[in-house]
This record gives sequence, C-alpha cells and structure tokens, in this order.
Amino acid sequence: MVSPALLFVALVTLFPIGYSIWMSLNHIQSSTNGFQFSFAGLSNYKIVFNSPLFHQALIFTIVYAVVTVLVELVLGLLVALAINQPIKGRGFAIAIMLIPWTLITVISAQMWGYIYNGVYGVLDYLMQSLHLINSPIVWLGTPNLATISIMIADVWKTTPFVTMILLAGLQLIPSDLYEAAKIDGAGAFRSFFSVTLPLLRPSLALAALFRILQAFGLFDLPFVLTGGGPGTSTMSIAMLAYKAIFNDFEYGPGTAVAVITVLIILIMSLISIKAFRAQVGEVEE
Amino acid sequence: MKKSLLVSMSVLSASAMTMTIMTGSAFASAKHSSAVTTIDWAASPISNVGIRKALIQLFEKTHPNIHVRLTSQPTNTDTNRASLATEISGGSATPDVFMGDVVWPGQFASAGLALPLNHYFPKSYFNSFAPGLVQGATYKGKVYGAPFFMDAGFLYYRKDLLAKAHLPVPKTWEQLANDSKVLLKKHLVRYGFVWEGASYEGLTCNWMEYLTDAGGQVFNAAGKPVMNSPAAVKALTFMRSLIASGVSPKSVTTFQEPQAMNVFNAGDAAFLRNWDYAWSNSQTKGTSVVGKVGVVPMPTFAGKKGPGYGNIGGWNLYINPHSKNIQADVTFIKWMTSVQAQTVLASKYSEIPTNNQVQHDPKIKKLNPVLAIVGSEHLVPRPAQSPNYPKVSSAIYQNVNAALSGQVSVQTALNNANSQLASASSSSSL
Amino acid sequence: MSKAQLLTRKWIGYIVLILMLLIIIAPFYWMVITSLKSNNEISAIPPSMFPIHPTFSQYTQTFGQFGFGIYFRNSLIVSIISTIVVVILASLASYAIARLPIRGKTFIMVTLLVISTFPQVSVISPLFVIMEHLGWLNSYQALIIPYVAFNLPFAIWIMRTYFAGIPRELDEAARVDGAGVLTTVFRIILPLSTPGLFTGAIFTFVACWTEFFFALVFNTDNSFRTIPVGIALFGGQFTIPYGTIFAASTVAVLPIVILVLIFQKWVVAGLTSGAVKG
Repeated sequence: MVSPALLFVALVTLFPIGYSIWMSLNHIQSSTNGFQFSFAGLSNYKIVFNSPLFHQALIFTIVYAVVTVLVELVLGLLVALAINQPIKGRGFAIAIMLIPWTLITVISAQMWGYIYNGVYGVLDYLMQSLHLINSPIVWLGTPNLATISIMIADVWKTTPFVTMILLAGLQLIPSDLYEAAKIDGAGAFRSFFSVTLPLLRPSLALAALFRILQAFGLFDLPFVLTGGGPGTSTMSIAMLAYKAIFNDFEYGPGTAVAVITVLIILIMSLISIKAFRAQVGEVEE
Repeated sequence: MKKSLLVSMSVLSASAMTMTIMTGSAFASAKHSSAVTTIDWAASPISNVGIRKALIQLFEKTHPNIHVRLTSQPTNTDTNRASLATEISGGSATPDVFMGDVVWPGQFASAGLALPLNHYFPKSYFNSFAPGLVQGATYKGKVYGAPFFMDAGFLYYRKDLLAKAHLPVPKTWEQLANDSKVLLKKHLVRYGFVWEGASYEGLTCNWMEYLTDAGGQVFNAAGKPVMNSPAAVKALTFMRSLIASGVSPKSVTTFQEPQAMNVFNAGDAAFLRNWDYAWSNSQTKGTSVVGKVGVVPMPTFAGKKGPGYGNIGGWNLYINPHSKNIQADVTFIKWMTSVQAQTVLASKYSEIPTNNQVQHDPKIKKLNPVLAIVGSEHLVPRPAQSPNYPKVSSAIYQNVNAALSGQVSVQTALNNANSQLASASSSSSL
Repeated sequence: MSKAQLLTRKWIGYIVLILMLLIIIAPFYWMVITSLKSNNEISAIPPSMFPIHPTFSQYTQTFGQFGFGIYFRNSLIVSIISTIVVVILASLASYAIARLPIRGKTFIMVTLLVISTFPQVSVISPLFVIMEHLGWLNSYQALIIPYVAFNLPFAIWIMRTYFAGIPRELDEAARVDGAGVLTTVFRIILPLSTPGLFTGAIFTFVACWTEFFFALVFNTDNSFRTIPVGIALFGGQFTIPYGTIFAASTVAVLPIVILVLIFQKWVVAGLTSGAVKG
C-alpha cells in the first residue's frame, strides 16, 4: 500500500535531488553545451560557511522560524480549542479563516506592501487618525521593524493552517476522556493539561514540523516586501540560495546552501518531534 | 495475510496513476506544422501592454513566411532571468529570441546563454544604433544583444510649484535640495524629492548617477574597485542628507519605481527621479499632475559642468544559442531595430528608440519632452561588463541601502562595498 | 461539564473566533475594496476606507485584457487532479505506515520529510531537463506530476498522524467481522478520518493552487499557464497594478472558499460524533 506512493515520489524526485546534491560537490560552469562539472569536493560548502552573508541569513531565518512557529502554535491552538465545539456558523467561519492561507504568497506580500507603504499605506493612516503616532512609521525601513512586519504577514497567512492541523487532532480526543477527567474532579485547566495536551502531541509535532518547513523556505515575503533589505538584514537562506543560483549563476555554492538548508530543517524537525514526544513511524504503544 | 491483495492494490493504483498521466498527455499542446517558420519570442510586458503584439503584427505583415509566437515573461526582471536561464541552460530550443536587460550581456555571454551576433549581422548594422549602446552589449569583443529600446534616468519636476515659489529648475543637486526645502517651508508640497532607494538593482542605477556626478567610479581603469574614494563619500553623504533633511521621505529607502511614481502622481512630491515611462505615466488621465510636469536631464553637483549623468537602462534582443531558426531570428531582430519598428515604438508608445536616425529625427523629438532631451543628457552605464555583474550590483545596492537607512556610517558602507566588490569579481563566491 | 461551564466555554469560543475573524478579514477587506477602486483612487493619499466610486473595471480588465479565464481553468484542472491523486495515494500509504508491520518506517518518514523540504530552486533545472526529454513541456502533466510528488510526502505525514490516533480496536473489530484491509480502510477508517483527509487535501490543493516556479518554467505557452504565473505577467516592469492583481486574487480565493463550504461537515466530523463508542 505504501509502494505506489513511494514509487511515484521516488521516480520524480530522486534524480533531481541527487543531481542537485552532486552539483553542490562540483565547480560548475554554464556553457552553450550545458553545465560543465569539475569535482570540487566540499569547497562549495567551505565558501558557504565562510560567507558572512550566509551567517547573517542563517541567524535571521532561525530567529524568524522560532518566533513565528511559537506564535503560530499558540494562536492556532487557541483558535482550534475555541472552535472545537458545536458553534453556530462554524463551517462558514472556517472557510473565512482559510482565506489568508489560500492566497498566493507573492500576492499577499504585495498586499502587505501596499498596507505597510510609508506614504499612502493604510496602516500608517489608521494609526495617525487614531493619534497613535505623529508621523508615518516606515515599517520596512529598519531591520527590526522590517523583520517584525514580515513576521506579522506570515503569522496572518499561516496560523489558519496550523489551526486546521490542530483542529483535526482535537477531533481524535474522545469526549469520554474529558468526562472521566471531570469525574476525577479536574477543572477546565487541569483537563486541558492532563487530557488535551498529551493527546494532542502528535498533532502539535506535525504543526511544528509543517511550520519549520515553511519558515525555512521563507522567500516570497522578503523578496517582495524588502528585497532582503534594509541592507541585507532580512535576507533569508532561501533567498540566498535563489540569488546565488538564479541571479549570480553560482550553481555550486547555491545548491550547497540548499543542501545545508535541508540538513538544518531535518535537525530542527527531529528536535521538535522529540520535544513533543511524538512517534515518527514505529508501531504505536 | 492479505499480501496478495496489497500487491494487486499497488498495481491498481500504479496503473491508475499511469492513466492519469495518459489522460494528462491528451491535453498536451498539439504541435502544428506548416510551411511558415514559427519563432518564439520571450518578452516581459513593456510599459504599454499592447506594444509587443502590435509590433509582431506589423512584422508578420511584411514577413508572411515568419510567424512570431509571443511568450509573455514575468514583469519582475529577476524572475524573468531565472526562467530564461533555466530553459536555455537546459538546452531548450525555445524561446528563439528573448528580450533581456541591458546589463545581461556579460553574464549571459560567459554562461553560454546568448549567441554572439557578429557572424549573422553585417558590420554596418551595428552602426545604425545610437552611440554607446552596442558597446554596452559587447563582451570580449563580440556583440551579444541588439539594442531594442533604451532608457535613462531623468529628473521630473512640478512646473506649477516652482512657478509659485519663483524657483528655477535645478541644475545642481544642491539647488534641488534647496528648492525642496523652500517648497516644504511654504507648505506647497508634502515631500521634496522622491527616487528609488530600496535594496535592489534600481538603487545601483540611482547610485551610478550621484557617483559619476561626484567624479567617482566603481572600478578604475585597471579593474580595481574604488568605491571608497572621496567622491563616493561625497555622493553617499549627499544622498543621506536628502533623507536626514526631510527633502526625501524616510520611506524612500523602501521605494522602487512604482512607489516613487505613485507619490509623484498623487501630487505629493516636487521632484522625481525616474525612467522614460514616468512622462506618459504622470500624464495619464486622472493623476493629480496632468499638465504640471516638466522633465530635464539629471542635475550634477555644484561646480561641475552640467548636465549630470543619467544611468542607461533598457532592453536588448538576444538569440538563444539552441534556436533552430537562426535565420528567421536574425530577420526578426533586424526588423525590430529598423527605422519602421523604432518609429512605431517611439511615436505610438513613447519608448526611446535605439536606432540613431529615429532617435534624432526632429519629428520624433517633438512628440514628447523626454524624447526631446535624450540627446542632450550625459549617460553612464552600470559596471556590467563582467560575468559577475549581479554580485557587483548587489554589493553596491545592499551597502548603499544600509547606509541610507542609517544602519552603518557612510564610510563603513563604502568600505564594505569595496571589499565585497573585490570578491564579487572572482568566481565562486556568495 | 455543567451547563453553565459549557455555556461560558461557548461564549469564550465565540469571542476568540470573532476576534480572529476580524484580524483575518481586515487585510483581506483592504484587498477586496482596493480591487473595486479605480487606479487613481488606489494611490490616493490619504487612502479611502471604502471605494468612493466603486467600479468593476479591474475585474473586466483582468478577464478581458489579461485573459484570466484560461489561467483559472488551468489552475482548476491541475490542482483538482493533483489533489485527488495525492489523497488516494497518501491515504493508502499512510494507513499502511500507521498500521501495518512494515520495516524501516522511521527511515521512510524521515526520507519523505527530506524530499518535501528540498528547495525548489535546486531541483528545477534537472526537472526541466526531464520534462523536456519526455516532451511534457507545455502540458498539464508537467505540473501535476511534480505537484503530486512534492506534496505527497507531507500529505502522508498529515494523514499518518491522524490515522495513528484512531483506536486500533476498530480495525480489529472489522477484521473479526471478516473485512479485508481495503474494506477496513474505505468503510471504517476513512469515514472516521475526514478531518485528517480534509487537512491533507486542502494542504495539497492550496500548494498546487499557489505554486509559481514550476508553472512558470515548465509551461511557457499562454494556454497552459496557471493563476500565479498569469498574475505575474500583469502590469509592466515599473508598475504594480494593484487593482488588477487584487481583483484576480479575490477571484482566485473563491474556489477554495466554496470547496471548504461544501466539505465543511468533513472538517469537524470524525470521532466526536460518537462513532467510536461500542
């Protein structure tokens, strides 16, 4: 039963992935006859690890991932709990809630760019009308503000999907467990910590995993909103890989960045799975 | 166990998958065959959406045996380049001809993504262009792109505001700053001067203008980076003072062309640095500045001989080295750069023609004030004669932007830029 | 829980939900009303909070001049087929991984994870060459096949997590009744796991619906282009046509909202309905 799926995935992805790992180990010159490879060992990786731009992008991406993942998990859980009960108009609310998630990221980035704009942006306008600020704030003009602005746009877009994962998980918790907890005299808080949270662990792990994958692929938002600026302060590693491969034609170092990214994601994912003590694949119980 | 069932199920879903694939291929585009040669032209939308199709129609009328299929490319130049590079380096025979930025020849030539044209065009052909353009498309002695339409930075200003305050049109940067301050003090306008200061290619264009006006260079004649010269310090210090003194809004460090243009069109800026398109864009029905806009060559620094430098932009036509229809490609490019096509480009769509004869045609010059002053502006190209130009440019705009947004001092930014420029010109770096 | 407690919980639920919806709707509201403004009103300072002269011109331009209808159709075909294939393959695979004694499950799951995380930028060149050799450039399968392959792994992760949470006793009860694996999956497990299926399906659908780069490079023929690519061709080098791109994205959101409304029972069906008991 696994085989059709695995076969499909393997057929399509193994060659391109193997090829790009091979690229990362070579010095590559693009020519009219295609790519010319000359084996370079780990020298591309050395270039990447010695690049101050990579260090900066890595730190930015990790900080960004940790903050947005935590915020989105908390918010997502809150909303999932709120709607995991028979509330009128719930289906409709969920449909509305998923809108940000379904927007094309480049477009939602354009939308935020329009909202954040330092001259005719609606955010500055509203804040000025409410006398919260005296002069327009340049949301994308300083490193910290730009980072926060990008994070807000991301939380807005991705929390709905985290909610969906957690809501699906909440559905699995049988209601008799809550009743049992109640008979034991547990209050709402106790039953949350003793019933809900432990049983929700696999879903929390999944949501965290999903968010880590997305956060490390962060590209469209800074690409549209800041171009990595001010300076290079919002340059993510995915942007760095894109820039290296498609702007600079540095295929070797660019694919090395990609491979390193995958390894980092893998490590962070395994940590988060461990942290939520969710099982990866072995037979449960 | 139900092992056999599992096996048959996997076979089933595998064949289901193949079915999906098969039905999928039924949708694949049918290749039509006919006597005429079909060439594929990849071009991003030019400011006026209809230009590409209109030119193709005219071409096909005079060349009935060549059919041109337009592949619209993304408006974002980086995305455009990414898709072209993937296709051509993958050995694809299409697009046959592609429209590419004037800063691409070095990079595309060294990566084998563009065909050298010298072999296919007579020498006299390259003399038909306005001076400097062919040189900009040349890499290691060979021409890789045929200049299709050109662009340059210009200074747009509000005639009505200057008249109200009895101010002359600025010829120097210092004058522009002072004019702005006067207008701001009289509350005639919200901002003095808007331009493109975000961390992207356009900032490199803006920077080249100030730097050249101040007498500086990015690389010296020996190819060594010299962007920490006193001239560069003067240029960057001045740019920063525009923001610090309130002449330019703080958010100018996040502006690309559309944002700067919108502020100007809304009537909220007295001066704008922008490309050729800004003229017709500002005169579109409904903006707040119709009939109030003037355009002049860029200013220079006080004490220098004016006018100042405008950076060269624009687009070339390149041939895919894997194209199977090179003769048709050449015919198409020749026509697109001919007097007929260039006249249409200039007269109907107010693009700046690359054909020298059309560019200097008094009838064309009369059509709009930008075309009238093109010939009188000093032009400066970006340092694009390098296979690593994208890295050169990001070393410039990232550091200049960092200084403009106040993250680092002018001197630090220029020192950083200079050392990055040194490593950018070597291959294999990030 | 007592009635009073339940009621408080419900009220808290409503309040959280309404707050959340407001936050979600505000930026989207801005996008929609911008799509109803004329170009001059869009860049007006200060911005108008609702369209002063509402106009559908952005929409007519989107569908007329930019031919958005073709992109919309292509996106629907590609996303729906990909999603169906993914859901079928993933539900079987993830049931097997969650339930059947297969060796190396951890290895399989981690490998799948690596595949689904591999940055697009580094696999697009080799994939392009493959597509070219197969003669699949400018076709629907050029997108459907990579979309299925790159979205299957995470869909399997989603569904496996869900299947693993369904009590094993159900399978065993079915087996005692003489049901085979397939019957168990389709009759017992899948109807109980609609929230998991839905989450996997909506994840895949949205991923296909919004994918840009494969679509841009593999299908250059206008008649095979999808919505995200189509929108990237709007405007010109120096203009962001907010009006038309927002109009296009407002239309692009509709199918998903409709799908969610159709399948809303699925989102919150499952075990809470009491099917487990007994």
